[in-house]
Amino acid sequence: MSEKYQVVNGNKIHENGDREQNDDASLKEMADCYRLILQNVGENPKREGLLKTPERAAKALLFFTKGYHQKISDVINGAIFTENHDEMVIVKDIEFFSMCEHHLVPFFGKVSIGYLPNNKILGLSKLARIVEVFSRRLQVQERMTKEIAEAVDEALKPLGVGIIVSASHMCMVSRGVQKINSKTLTSVMVGEFRTNQKTRDEFFRLARS
Amino acid sequence: MSKYDVSELDADELNQAIDDTNFPQSHHVPSSNGNRDDGDEKNIRKPSMPLPMKIQNGILSKSYSDDVFAMPGTPRTPRSITTPGHEKCTFHHDLELDHRPSTREDLISDMANSYRMLLSSLGENPNRQGLLKTPERAAKAMLYFTKGYDQSLEEALNGAIFDEDHDEMVMVKDIEMFSMCEHHLVPFYGKVSIGYIPCKKILGLSKLARIVEIFSRRLQVQERLTKQIAVAVTQAVQPSGVAVIIEGVHMCMVMRGVSKTQSKTVTSTMLGVFRDDPKTREEFLNLVHSK
Repeated sequence: MSEKYQVVNGNKIHENGDREQNDDASLKEMADCYRLILQNVGENPKREGLLKTPERAAKALLFFTKGYHQKISDVINGAIFTENHDEMVIVKDIEFFSMCEHHLVPFFGKVSIGYLPNNKILGLSKLARIVEVFSRRLQVQERMTKEIAEAVDEALKPLGVGIIVSASHMCMVSRGVQKINSKTLTSVMVGEFRTNQKTRDEFFRLARS
Repeated sequence: MSKYDVSELDADELNQAIDDTNFPQSHHVPSSNGNRDDGDEKNIRKPSMPLPMKIQNGILSKSYSDDVFAMPGTPRTPRSITTPGHEKCTFHHDLELDHRPSTREDLISDMANSYRMLLSSLGENPNRQGLLKTPERAAKAMLYFTKGYDQSLEEALNGAIFDEDHDEMVMVKDIEMFSMCEHHLVPFYGKVSIGYIPCKKILGLSKLARIVEIFSRRLQVQERLTKQIAVAVTQAVQPSGVAVIIEGVHMCMVMRGVSKTQSKTVTSTMLGVFRDDPKTREEFLNLVHSK
């Protein structure tokens, strides 16, 4: 399986970016793994409620990791337009759901993206789609934030990009330390957002208002 | 087997457990079929009898077949205190309870192998730094999310049942709950509010939260969870009535499938006076929704 994938920023991306054929074999393999897990946990995989759970759980996990099979260029789909606009554009509170790569437990929250166009603007929903590509993977919040920033930067070559991610980690909320109200915030500032204090302030004020 | 074991009950027996005759002093609303009129003496449970009669007869006389899988929620590998080598279990953070050893060396490594295979089926590289110990961590996390199978009601209650002449409503609300959807193995979480009207006996308040923990840390369906909590409180203190409301967010619906992020699922179980007397029920609902 490793030949088909190239490593980009520590994550494996399918070389064609095409959705990999969900071989019946790999789905069945995953379902068998889940069946074993159910048995080990002490449940009876043959009872009515659990009969098809291995298949459902396998499909769910594949959905939660579908970002591996998506390419940014496909997702943006050419929605880059020339526009004489050099003020900040912000799309805030984009909800995302990702999987903690350490415990395989979800973490979810909001992403706010801001950028200063350099005569090129991006279709707004494409920012949300970029978030989807990188969140539907086994992730670490820090890496996800950086990947989103780099993707926007590469696609548009803007004057600056700012990303703020605020998330609640179920691995911390429902197990371990069990701190329910805790939130983790990460941010990445590129270009003007990093060098110019006023730009950064404006972004924070607008995105967190 | 303890007569307390609500987890041993299947759907029919759970339904029998919430039969109205199991509640002392609940107001008998004449049922539409009118059968109750003469048989009132037989039907009103005398408070001195242990609860629940039907269940006792059902459970105690039943001989379990070898196929212990017939009972939902029965652990296949009974993890008990006598399992050697598990005196120091770091799994449970309940210091008051005896450590219920839930991790066994083979369990973790078996599950970790399954998780490792899952990771490679996804196309990830299980040997990269971030994923190196993920199979073990994920296995431990899953065992933690299903630790309710190891816990029994008697142990959780720990004898915290007191005689008190109090017959007004007692309510513990907004108990946070984290459970696992048994259909997709994805978490669902929410708040549980429990109210009961004591009949000579009250329960330690944290024990209500512990009851929630036992039944929520399993592969569950929200409907069954609500009912099991209600039946457990009934069995513990034999009150005049019990009400349980659960408001849950199901990640299987929020992060996949229909993707309805604001949706909440509400289920409730009303037993005894809460079922018969609309005013009591209304008082409970008002208190649940008050700030």
